[in-house]
Formats: sequence, structure tokens, C-alpha cells
Amino acid sequence: MEHPILFITVILEQLGWISHSMDGIGKADLLRLSQPHITYAWFVMAFLMIMPKLTMGKIEMIPGKGQNFWEALIGGMESFMAETMGKDGAKMMFPMLATFGLFILVSNLVGLMPLFMSPTSNINVTLACTIIVVTTTHILGLKFHGVGYIKHFLGPIPWLIPLMLPIEIISHAARLLSLSLRLFGNIMAKETLLGILFLLAGAYFAPLPILCLGILVSVVQALVFVLLSMLYFAGAMEHAH
Amino acid sequence: MSNMRGDLMRVMADASTIGITMAACIFIGVGVGYYLDNKVFHGSTSPWLLLIFTGYGIIAAFLSLFRLVKKKEMQNQPPKDD
Repeated sequence: MEHPILFITVILEQLGWISHSMDGIGKADLLRLSQPHITYAWFVMAFLMIMPKLTMGKIEMIPGKGQNFWEALIGGMESFMAETMGKDGAKMMFPMLATFGLFILVSNLVGLMPLFMSPTSNINVTLACTIIVVTTTHILGLKFHGVGYIKHFLGPIPWLIPLMLPIEIISHAARLLSLSLRLFGNIMAKETLLGILFLLAGAYFAPLPILCLGILVSVVQALVFVLLSMLYFAGAMEHAH
Repeated sequence: MSNMRGDLMRVMADASTIGITMAACIFIGVGVGYYLDNKVFHGSTSPWLLLIFTGYGIIAAFLSLFRLVKKKEMQNQPPKDD
């Protein structure tokens, strides 16, 4: 299969950043750092940092168009989180989860345009997000329960500990795998399907239905990622049963 | 209305997890057992740790399914005051 044309990679090639004669020191690192999923992740981050600045302008008492949009988005996300985690938990975890939600949503959607790819269609990006979420879950548990957090892993009966401890550890590791693999799998399937359909019958609008489905998949996967992270955080904060 | 939609979303997210979680549990069990057998103990314990950890993985898979079902049952019952 042919490689898709990605405009950031083309620009970097023109600038001479990516040349396949690796002679200078650090050239291999530079090559590794300018892989498409990394450059497009940076692109999405830059988009998310610059776009609100451009559209929102100054914050006013009576919101204009741009401020109205961002207020509705952020307010909607916050009330959605407050339903699941309670007011205090939502207030504490909101910055992180909203960042994840917006980053994953934009990176899913950006792959629908030609010349772009989704950073989330690479397992490394989704695995990085998931590792942050799982680590934060355990930090939250330790913060809320102290050393007693280990009771979450030991099960209800003392003599069952040798059985329950490996099982709990396996099921926590499975969270890591399932959360990252679902996002990666869905988005990579979308990207690959779009690429193949463009290649086969792009002139006859064959990818059009898949583009519509792609929007749905992107929104649903971003939502599911945030929702499951919230459920994990809420589970770490509540008492052991 | 908004609350009902939120509940539906949560149930859907939970239910969509369970398939991949069960598979992941079993695969992690098998992977850990294989690693311990062949890389840590260099095949001297083969195949016992593989079998034991596969068993752990299968139990973990069914435990996560059981927990999902129990959580849904608790939600469906009206809360008792005790």
C-alpha cells in the first residue's frame, strides 16, 4: 500500500530535518522525534493552545460568539463529570480529564482531513494517555485512603489473599490494556479504511459514508475514554467494599 | 431526561468495556506465566507457572464480569435504608 502524504512530514523533509543519511550526532534521535504521530500530536497541542486564544478574545460579562461556544463546551463537560464523580471530585480532576477529552477528540477528528493523520491511530500515543490515567488512579487512591488503599487489592477474606492479590493486579493491568487498545483499534481501523477507500475509489466518493461514521466514532471514543477514566477515578476514591 | 441519558451512557461504556477486558485479563495471565517460565526461570518450571497464571487470568476475567453484573443489580434495586 502506498504511504499517505502527510504535510508536516513533507515540510520537514523540505527543511532538511528528515534526511535518510544519518551522519551527524543526534540525527537518529531527530528522525525518531519527527515521526508522523509525534509531529501530529504536537500539531494538535498547538491547535488546542492557539485556537481558544484566537476565538475567545477578551472574557466579557455578556459573552460573544466565541466565548459562548467555549463556555458551553467547558460547562457541559464539567456538569457531565459532576454527575459521575460528585462536585468535589469533578472540581479536582476536571483540568486533567478535560485536557484528555479535548486532545483525544481533536486528534481523532483531525485524521478525517486529507494530508492529516490521527496521532491516536498509533498505539504509543494511546498507551501514554492510558498510563497517565492508571497512575493517577493509584495516586488518588493512596491520597484518599493512605496505606489502607492496599485493602482494595486484598479481597474480603484474609486467607484468600494469595488468590486475590494476583487477580486484582491482573485486572488492573487489563484496564490499561483495554483502555488503550480500544481507542487505538477504533481510530486505526477508521484511518486504514479511509486510506484504502480513497485509494480504490476516491474519485467516486466511496469514503463518504465512512467519513460520516468516522465523525461518530471519533466523538464516541473520546467520550468513552473520559467516561471510563472518571469511573476508575471514582472507584479509587470510594471506600473498599 | 439529562440524567437518564447520562445513565444510558454509563451503562453503554461499562458494557462496551467488558468484552475487551475479559480478553485482556486472560492474555495478561498467559503472558505473565510464559514470561516467568521461560525468561525468569529459563524453562525449569515449565509449564506449571504458565498454567497457574492462566488460571489466575481466567478467574480475573470472570470476576470482572461478575462485578459488572453485581453493580448493575445494585443500581436497579431501590436503595434500602440501613
